[in-house]
Amino acid sequence: MPESTHSQPGTRTTTDLHARVYDGVLDMMPSEENPTPLVRLNALTPPGSTLYAKLEWMNPFGSVKDRAAWAMIRDLESRGELGDAKPGRGIVEPTSGNTGFSLAAIASVRGYPARAVMPSKVPTEKRALIRMAGADVDISSDAMCPLPGSEDGTIGLARTYARAQSNKYVMPNQYENQINARAHEETTGPEIWRQTQGKVSHVFVSLGTCGTVTGISRYLKSKNANVKIIAVQPSPGHDVPGLRNVSELDVSKLYDPSLIDEILQIDFNLAYTNALSLLRREGLRAGPSSGLIFEGARIISARDGVPMGVMIFCDDIFKYVSTMIKHLPELGGSDAEGGS
Amino acid sequence: MTYAHPESLVSAEWLKSNLTNPSIRIIEVDVDPKQYAAGHIPGAIGLDWAKDLQDPVRRDIPNGDQLATLLSNRGVGNEHTIVLYGDSANWFAAYAFWVLKLYGHRDVRLLNGGRAHWLNDSSLPLTPDVVNHPPTTYRPTQPDETLRARVSEVLVSASGAARVASGGAKILQLVDVRSPDEFSGKIIAPPGMNETAQRAGHIPGAVNVPWAQATNADGTFKSVDELRTLYGGKGLTPGAPTVAYCRIGERSSHTWFVLKYLLGFDNVRNYDGSWTEYGNLIGAPIEKNV
Ligand SMILES: Cc1ncc(COP(=O)(O)O)c(C=O)c1O
Repeated sequence: MPESTHSQPGTRTTTDLHARVYDGVLDMMPSEENPTPLVRLNALTPPGSTLYAKLEWMNPFGSVKDRAAWAMIRDLESRGELGDAKPGRGIVEPTSGNTGFSLAAIASVRGYPARAVMPSKVPTEKRALIRMAGADVDISSDAMCPLPGSEDGTIGLARTYARAQSNKYVMPNQYENQINARAHEETTGPEIWRQTQGKVSHVFVSLGTCGTVTGISRYLKSKNANVKIIAVQPSPGHDVPGLRNVSELDVSKLYDPSLIDEILQIDFNLAYTNALSLLRREGLRAGPSSGLIFEGARIISARDGVPMGVMIFCDDIFKYVSTMIKHLPELGGSDAEGGS
Repeated sequence: MTYAHPESLVSAEWLKSNLTNPSIRIIEVDVDPKQYAAGHIPGAIGLDWAKDLQDPVRRDIPNGDQLATLLSNRGVGNEHTIVLYGDSANWFAAYAFWVLKLYGHRDVRLLNGGRAHWLNDSSLPLTPDVVNHPPTTYRPTQPDETLRARVSEVLVSASGAARVASGGAKILQLVDVRSPDEFSGKIIAPPGMNETAQRAGHIPGAVNVPWAQATNADGTFKSVDELRTLYGGKGLTPGAPTVAYCRIGERSSHTWFVLKYLLGFDNVRNYDGSWTEYGNLIGAPIEKNV
């Protein structure tokens, strides 16, 4: 590796995408020139269709959320809400984990404090990861009473920090910030268009903040109005981290149903079993939300045929070990096999 | 039409203009006490429902001495107007309201919409700073047992209702404010709850009106006409003796407040033993619809 990789501020940039040599971790952030990989599925695709997985876990901090986190932080910096104009100020964000980790890691690199407010159903790995990245974590009690409007204390708690302690915190607010969707309009969408040479026919996505679906759909439909955007949602009562059932989407201000051609509701247990198939049959270490997306792609392939489908595989399975064991106890080894 | 006791609710605008009024004490009570710590209405005292508003040893509300110590130390006097608010549409704030009324506090009010309503209006101030009000000597009254239902009365009513087919009278109007799945007996408690019961179902004769149906999406209370339609539609009438219950007695305080102060039911009580008491009793009649 060339010595100049570790360049000092002010020295000539040595980032060389072709050689995959970067001046710093933030130069790894994806773009049309530096896209995340698109990998074809060979064993699991129904006959007559072509499905590619876009491996978002290849992003520097391991998930699709790097795109939104990076774009939101740069936007706050450019508006003087973060950085030299606001010394000592950091970030607070409600997050199911991935955004929190991306924000925490970027904040650390940039020298800002960070705090993540997470619902208690988030797997322990994700909480620990965010703490490892240097952020404070608050676990907010989930709904004690399953009624609409009474749940999701995470957003309220994060907003409280941002309002009551605005000298210490600014809240990027991935659920309402248009920059979240724009990040995908400016990176994920153009990457897919270029990587498929404009042949993409279907994109399969999941719904969380809806930044991914909204941004990708805006870009691709502007290129070709016939591209089908298919979203999957887990069945009610699910515990798939990062995802929302449509009944839970009222907080996602980026949700725009006119940009989605079809929403498929899928038994949430398939998120876990499909994640295993993807690893065992395709060697793709995809996480549960990817498992759900794959099911959507399989259904549409079997029903309509998919000439060139792209599935957004948001993150990998490494941080879901405890969730996977909960759903598939046989993964836990001898303890679980013993039973009681 | 207005509420039966409109003075028991205050609006955010009213509270904003009374933040420095020395005759007022503002108290926040949350499901999640981290909310208060992160930021609250300037001057507000934070109470923890589990630590401050329950007996630390036995399952009970605080006794008079415990409440007196708590309120005296936090600078709340008998003469103060107490304004309560909290998360989850004032769920635990309503429980604190009930406890304070039980101990005879004269002037207690709820902030309509609770903390979410305040939080979502960026013109309203929030602070992490904790104010220490000068201590007082708080003197609670003897607990007003007419606000509290005991298991013995509920059982009498339940046995009567169980005999309703053979002409037995329904003695109490029982309102079960839990979710439909808890009411039907499909589940014993919402997922992840520690406090639970041995059996699922509901008290015979109860009607199910989940507590949050009394609120709008922003946490404010529905209009009196909507509330009348909601509870009247379930056959509940303001004159008859009424008891609200839930799982641990907190959600039902919210409905108790609605029935008593917004709809003017003159004899309504909170059964704080609720399902975690009733559903554990040997031999208690249970209705189950699954
Ligand atoms: C694992 C995972 N899958 C899917 C999503 C959904 O992406 P978006 O928030 O852009 O809708 C998220 C985001 O929270 C996620 O963390």
